[in-house]
Amino acid sequence: MEDIIICRCQEVTEQEIIDAVHEGATTVDGVKRRTRACMGLCQGKTCGRLVERIVARESGRSAAEVTPQHSRMPVRPVKIGTFGGDGDA
Amino acid sequence: MRETYDVIVVGGGIMGCSVAWQLAKKNKRVLVIERRDVASGAAGATDGVVGYHTKKPGPQMDLAVQSIAMFETLGEQLGQDIEYGLRCGGLQPVEDKMQWDILSEIVEKQRESGVDIRMISADEACALEPQLSRDIYGALYSPTGGKVNPLRLTMGYANAARRLGAQFLTETTVTGFAIENGRVTGVHTDKGDFAADVVVNAGGAWAGKIATLAGLDLPITPRKGQLIVTEPIGPFMTATVQCARYNVVKFKPEAVTDPTAIRLGASLSIEQTEDGGLIIGGTREFAGYDVDNTFEAIEVMLRRALRFFPALRDVSIIRCFSGLRPYTPDGLPLLGPVHALPGFYMAAGHEGDGIALSPITGKLIAEWIVDGKPSYDLSDFDPNRFLKA
Repeated sequence: MEDIIICRCQEVTEQEIIDAVHEGATTVDGVKRRTRACMGLCQGKTCGRLVERIVARESGRSAAEVTPQHSRMPVRPVKIGTFGGDGDA
Repeated sequence: MRETYDVIVVGGGIMGCSVAWQLAKKNKRVLVIERRDVASGAAGATDGVVGYHTKKPGPQMDLAVQSIAMFETLGEQLGQDIEYGLRCGGLQPVEDKMQWDILSEIVEKQRESGVDIRMISADEACALEPQLSRDIYGALYSPTGGKVNPLRLTMGYANAARRLGAQFLTETTVTGFAIENGRVTGVHTDKGDFAADVVVNAGGAWAGKIATLAGLDLPITPRKGQLIVTEPIGPFMTATVQCARYNVVKFKPEAVTDPTAIRLGASLSIEQTEDGGLIIGGTREFAGYDVDNTFEAIEVMLRRALRFFPALRDVSIIRCFSGLRPYTPDGLPLLGPVHALPGFYMAAGHEGDGIALSPITGKLIAEWIVDGKPSYDLSDFDPNRFLKA
């Protein structure tokens, strides 16, 4: 089961996430910084909750106690042209 | 006092981890105390440009030359892939004669440090980076510029330090310093007290606040840099590219006329990471400790990205982020012992040059603590320049 891929965008396995927790990660962002999980195209929309549960399980806490990842814009991928429009500032 | 260490490093960012690793290599018992997590501040919220051409001419450039030389074998020494892209080059497209003149003048001074930085024609620049817009006046080029993955580098320092016995205490806030007979003897935290002969303040943008706890008034303040990351795409560019305004904002801010650009310190810095995503920055804003992204800054940066790389129009951005750089009034970091408080060292204030200057900073601070003096003169970075005698 250690080979199960949790973050499909970045191909991060469950074992890598477990290792990150044992290396000191206590939050979803902590796992992210160590493994790149949640850093891909979906930005953790698929795997964020799974990562949260693994952190909880490995650190003996409830999932509610694990800080979820910090949300940032954009909510969905947006084309640069949509922002960039025409003309430069 | 509960436990005793040779050195306590305050701050688990790029500087704290580099200093800890170098001290552990010298067989020192080291404790790193970090308020949140390793690389949770600026180290984890930046691009990874490691180049000479964005460094201030003079001492900062000379220090960068020493530091960048260390990158060649750094990954090997840390036992971790830090995704160091050697000699990918650094390019700064110039838009007009005014920028050309300003950059040419800075380049002349930078070259005094013996580095290969030169002004090239628009044709030469486009030959180096075929995706670059033809609508440029020329460019600055530095063939030796590199790039690194800053998160992997910080974790690399931390893990290497840990393997040599250094201890890390995260989610722990420093609340004060133990001072006896005018000397620092330890650190008070919300998780207890720790004794040490030496304390290093590697608090990045928070280093000024940490110094205040020791009764020292040092002018290190946060300066926000906003960044954007795109979806991964195929090979698009090799060099790290900053628009000429990047160096103009950094070294001659009075020459910038656009009011939005002045307020946001906005220019373009763009590089492609090993996984294919592009990291687009950057702003230099004074906004206290606020780390929110603003629509205005994102729009300004993306417009500039399209100005220089029109082919990016249909590439999607997937996330914005920001980090707080430790700004100092003269643009130079504070490195070395504080005379007013024996045992108290500074290793902070690199603003946007922290990733590139981290190897040499760690090495020289460790030498200073263990050997009594660094192997390279750091008097230009003396923290005491800001303290009244």
